[in-house]
Amino acid sequence: MENDFLLYGEHFSSRFLLGTALYASPQLMRDAITQSRCEIVTLGLRRQNPTEKSGDAFWQLIQESGCRLLPNTAGCKSVKEAVTLAEMSREIFNTDWIKLEVVGDDYNLQPDPFGLLEASEILIKKGFKVLPYCTDDLILCKRLLDVGCEVLMPWGAPIGTGQGLLNRYSLKTLRERIKDVPMIIDAGLGAPSQATEAMEMGFDGILLNTAVAKAHNPPLMAEAFADAIDAGRKAFKAGLIQKRQTASPSTPTIGQPFWHQ
Amino acid sequence: MTSNLHQLPETVGIAGAGLLGRLFAWKLLQSGCKVTLFEAGQFAPKPGDTFFPAAFTAAGMIAPLSEAVVSDQNIYRMGQFALQQWPEWLKTLPSVEPFFYQRGSLVVAHPQDVSELTQFEQELQFVLPECNTYARINQQQIHELEPDLNPVFSEGLLLSEEGHINNRQLLTALGKEIIRLGVTLRDQTSVNVQPNKIVTNTNEETFDWVIDCRGYGAKVQDKKLRGVRGETLAVQTKEFSLQRPVRLMHPRYQLYIVPKPHNIFLIGATQIESEDKSAVSLQSSLELSSALYTLSSAFAEARIIELGVNLRPAYQDNLPRIQIQHGLITANGLFRHGYLLAPAIIESVLAYLGNKEQTVFCNLLQDHR
Repeated sequence: MENDFLLYGEHFSSRFLLGTALYASPQLMRDAITQSRCEIVTLGLRRQNPTEKSGDAFWQLIQESGCRLLPNTAGCKSVKEAVTLAEMSREIFNTDWIKLEVVGDDYNLQPDPFGLLEASEILIKKGFKVLPYCTDDLILCKRLLDVGCEVLMPWGAPIGTGQGLLNRYSLKTLRERIKDVPMIIDAGLGAPSQATEAMEMGFDGILLNTAVAKAHNPPLMAEAFADAIDAGRKAFKAGLIQKRQTASPSTPTIGQPFWHQ
Repeated sequence: MTSNLHQLPETVGIAGAGLLGRLFAWKLLQSGCKVTLFEAGQFAPKPGDTFFPAAFTAAGMIAPLSEAVVSDQNIYRMGQFALQQWPEWLKTLPSVEPFFYQRGSLVVAHPQDVSELTQFEQELQFVLPECNTYARINQQQIHELEPDLNPVFSEGLLLSEEGHINNRQLLTALGKEIIRLGVTLRDQTSVNVQPNKIVTNTNEETFDWVIDCRGYGAKVQDKKLRGVRGETLAVQTKEFSLQRPVRLMHPRYQLYIVPKPHNIFLIGATQIESEDKSAVSLQSSLELSSALYTLSSAFAEARIIELGVNLRPAYQDNLPRIQIQHGLITANGLFRHGYLLAPAIIESVLAYLGNKEQTVFCNLLQDHR
């Protein structure tokens, strides 16, 4: 694979980022990571008592995968919680990358755009490289870029829903209006075909968790997504043809008298 | 006297007086072995003790179907075995009220989360395509089975063969019984195990066989073991009754409520990849108590009598391991399936020790001799 996926100055060959929650066992998680061919995995520490490093046994298993760790702030409902957890993550995992989540609704885990923007600004000033989990709102995305985000991660649909790309129009707008910033579709995908579609639209990468972790066979589903993402990327680069309207012919059809058309 | 008495070892040292330790001691004493049982904490532990076996915190469900959904067919088969074995074993254990109930279990979801129920059913069909011991039931049927449940649940699944155990009563009764049968008890004694030997801070004792079933306590010697935090809530109320465990499916969490004696209900358990044994978090207590409240508003005035925390001992695949060397057997990694897997583990090891040809689940044993 080409090495042309650039995030905060680092090159990656895989455009698939995988979450590490919800697997039936760490072994299945490891197998899924391997089959996904991904180079970046996200992990959340909010509930693991990170100040005491109580999640260490599990974190080590993730670290052994050899992937770059992208700690996230899943479960944080306020700017302060997210900032504190990001700082803790930086200390524990020795990385200034953070997948920033500020939860606005406890049931569907929808991002709080206002808190997200505020937390992004604070963290970037503290030297973090922020990958914000955001909605598909153009203005929010522009504001996130204004405060210094160099990657955007708009949702396809709310976390864990498997609904796919719910608002193609705004995603398309985002892609057309923000051309030179890597954009990763984060959350809401359920089927590999949805990932292909996002990649065909020109998005740069896919981040997901539930669709793989909750599949009956997570490693196999991880491979399916990896293939789908590769296919979508190739299709985007190859240039998709425009759809044609052939329902009503514009010219005479050979062999048929023109007065019948 | 059993027929294989002469084949069993004369002396056995057991490390860990949790569920496996007590069951091993009981079965071996019944067969005439001399058993010494070591326990890091109190033999009759109280919630809040530093050493509190996970088996006391557990809910004691024997739920092969529900657990197959998050594991595999082997766990299901061991669970099936448990459903036969528990009532058989418990016939010989003196009790005031039954320890074991087999009234099935109920899986419900709120109308907006009904896709969770379908997902559960789909996964069941994947893991156990031949299984026919569950059925989709409607609001009326749920009401007939559990009249006190919130009528909001319009659909559910009845897993008719599942059971549950009054685990604390059982552990206490097993404790009394093994004392009656003459166990030598060394409680409040942390140990290391070696082949044929149990080593304490001040002493070492030699045995024909050593069985190590310390659960997470074995981590000092087995670095591959990890703890998985679980939190539970126990409440007491006379306003609500339940015949069988109920599992509530929700996109964020899957919790179950198990009826216990004296109008006590246990709701659990969170599953957090952390070896933190500090007190229950507010987030978890909110999840546990709101789940309870949605099952019935009668819980509003229930009294919270215990908030439990413990670590499930697990290996990377969350499956159990029995490892055998000369003079040392370790049984660990039962994860969240202690009561479900204990009969298969115990009978396999006993069959091995008794040189029986057919072990019950011979694929469980990893013989390193």
